Amino acid sequence: MTHPDPGDPRPGSDLGSGPGPGTGPGAGLDPGPDTGTDTGPGPATGPGAGPGPAIGSGPGPGFGFGGGPGPGGAFGAGAGPYGARRLSPRVLLIDPIRLLPSLLLPLAGVLIAGGFSPTSFGWAAVGVAGSAVYAVIRWATFTYHLTEDRLELTRAFIGRLAKTIPLERIRGIDITEPPLHRLLGLAVLKIDTGAGGSEQEGTLDAVTMEQARALRTALLARRPAPPLPARAAGAAGIGQDAAGQGPAAPGATAEAGPEPVARVLARVPRRWLTYGPLSGAYLLTPFALAAGAVGLVFQWGEELGLTERSARQALEWVWAHPYLLVAVAALLVTAMPIVGAVAYAIFNWDFTLRARDGYLVAERGLITRRTVSLERRRIRGYEMTEALLERWAGVARLWAVVTGLGDSATRGQLLPVTPKAFASGVAREAVGPFATSLRPHPPRALRRRLVRAVVPWLPVAVAAFVLGWAVVGVVALGLAVLGIPLGLDRYRSLGHAYDGARLSVRSGSLRRAQAVVERRAVVGWTMRQTVFQRMAGLITVTAGVGAGSGGYPAIDTGETQGVEFAHEVTPDWIRPFLDDLS
Amino acid sequence: MRGQRGPLRDPAERVSRRAIVLWLIEALVGFVLLVGGAVLVANWIGGGWEIVPDWLSGNAWMLPVAVGAVMLPFVVVEPLWRYAVHRWELSGDVVYARSGWLSREWVFVPVSRIQTVDKAQGWFERALGLATVEIRTASHAGSSTIKGLDYEVAARLAEELARRAQELRDDAT
Repeated sequence: MTHPDPGDPRPGSDLGSGPGPGTGPGAGLDPGPDTGTDTGPGPATGPGAGPGPAIGSGPGPGFGFGGGPGPGGAFGAGAGPYGARRLSPRVLLIDPIRLLPSLLLPLAGVLIAGGFSPTSFGWAAVGVAGSAVYAVIRWATFTYHLTEDRLELTRAFIGRLAKTIPLERIRGIDITEPPLHRLLGLAVLKIDTGAGGSEQEGTLDAVTMEQARALRTALLARRPAPPLPARAAGAAGIGQDAAGQGPAAPGATAEAGPEPVARVLARVPRRWLTYGPLSGAYLLTPFALAAGAVGLVFQWGEELGLTERSARQALEWVWAHPYLLVAVAALLVTAMPIVGAVAYAIFNWDFTLRARDGYLVAERGLITRRTVSLERRRIRGYEMTEALLERWAGVARLWAVVTGLGDSATRGQLLPVTPKAFASGVAREAVGPFATSLRPHPPRALRRRLVRAVVPWLPVAVAAFVLGWAVVGVVALGLAVLGIPLGLDRYRSLGHAYDGARLSVRSGSLRRAQAVVERRAVVGWTMRQTVFQRMAGLITVTAGVGAGSGGYPAIDTGETQGVEFAHEVTPDWIRPFLDDLS
Repeated sequence: MRGQRGPLRDPAERVSRRAIVLWLIEALVGFVLLVGGAVLVANWIGGGWEIVPDWLSGNAWMLPVAVGAVMLPFVVVEPLWRYAVHRWELSGDVVYARSGWLSREWVFVPVSRIQTVDKAQGWFERALGLATVEIRTASHAGSSTIKGLDYEVAARLAEELARRAQELRDDAT
């Protein structure tokens, strides 16, 4: 290990290890925590850990730990002076139900082992009572304490565990309302510190919904804040209906007031939920269910008296009734879009994207209502994806490219499936405009796409025909023929561009994805050329980005074109190494 | 090197000549493992299985021989080829490195975006007095590994990068 900080020769620690508290803006070189290589001291272990030095502290203000705030002021919420607090006691009603599945087996074991004697019931009762007491103790020994600059979570059960989360480090707040919590007016609050790994995050399970909202406001605003005007923005959305007025035009909607109040960027009307099954992902649900059932039969078959012979008989019986098979297949095929639509609708019910006080807040879900807040200054771009059917229907999904976001696949989602023009509008409004059309890649790339889509099937077909497996051979030939439109389409998808502020790359056919990323997010370039690409004069140029998936490739650009793309985006980094031209 | 294609010029610095020995050792280890695996497979095929036709099981010994014959030239060629390809340069506060042999990779890492600089040595590298410099940024696609450097050169490079990174550090990601 060599450090830029010459005074710090500890092995295994990070470049970010600045001199500690009072470090100015940008302590540490690392603002992007998704490197996963951090071995420095964690940010929140033990009291007084204070500003964890390893993970990027970002460009915010330095940690001011000197001015210790009194325990009163920080947290409004109509709760009066705000000291250490417990979770909502109502969670004690949920805990036993949650513990039930894990208790079931041991309890059954005790009862069976005891031959259902009174003693065994006694022991089972002791077990149940013990777990209830355990839940109460856990609840009683856990407190959270919000001060002006940090949130402290303390568990003083067996041993004492304190977790300090500097407010500066909070990157997002995730409020989830599982069904049971919802019944009791509770919510689970998750605090995303971008540390990577769920271990590092703070979870409050559970607080009342009002408290969750107020806490979110207080945690995100990093200053005393009044509780949210309850559902001010949400109430406006009630009028929206399947048959109601069209989708809110992105941006130009429901201006609810000045900054701290949410502004609705997008509200997805319910009739757009029907686009859900187009992705194809949910289409597999019935098959997953069927496979699960088959697995279950195999697993429990012995107990149910199912032998190999009876299984064979069943198979023969099914084979003798082909109409039944066809009916089941038809049922599965018709069930696919329905099950898919239902699952999709449950997850994405009333999806609403709001802008509030430097955050984007996405809310969705029918049974479990989930609210995710993304810090806007950490958003570096967006990614729009379209599956084949979605493209045909003119719809797309939208994700934000965010630095240091754990679980970005679900958290970074800005929109579920919506018409593409709408998604583009929201992307422009929420992230930023991209003003150029994509440049196509050279025709040699088309040849390469075609070769890659067609050629692998040919030897399979030849081998199959040689061995006399005509069916396999025909299938392979069919796939090879299908490879032609696939290759053409994959080539048409390829493209890259730079508009002066953001770069964009696009690729893929069955799942076409276009990424638009800010220039300042680029941390380096990797260019790769395989032997075959070298023969074709092509090169894949990947922009390294400290956010999202980490790298966004422009696949199969021309040798000169690709280098010029990198040169166009970051001229200072490439120019010293260009041969002689410009 | 064959004639340069595309607009990029060669990075200025070569790696240490002893890197050829390192790659040779690595190639030999890979070769031994591959041929060993082929011997195992040949034994299995020649083990008198019913489904394996006689002509195949009778000539199973040819498999490791064929694998060895095909791979042996690469054992010699790869280290030399790599030596010709692997180059690096630090100028204009950007690290520019090229690596690979059949497939190639060019990496550009601006010093201002570097997060960590590691200097690592494996067994063989240690014996040969070589070192690897690993330069990491917030993205895997913006990170570079320069292998086969003379230990002194690697130490100086890592030191220089770390010092410049400290001066230039830039918080954008």
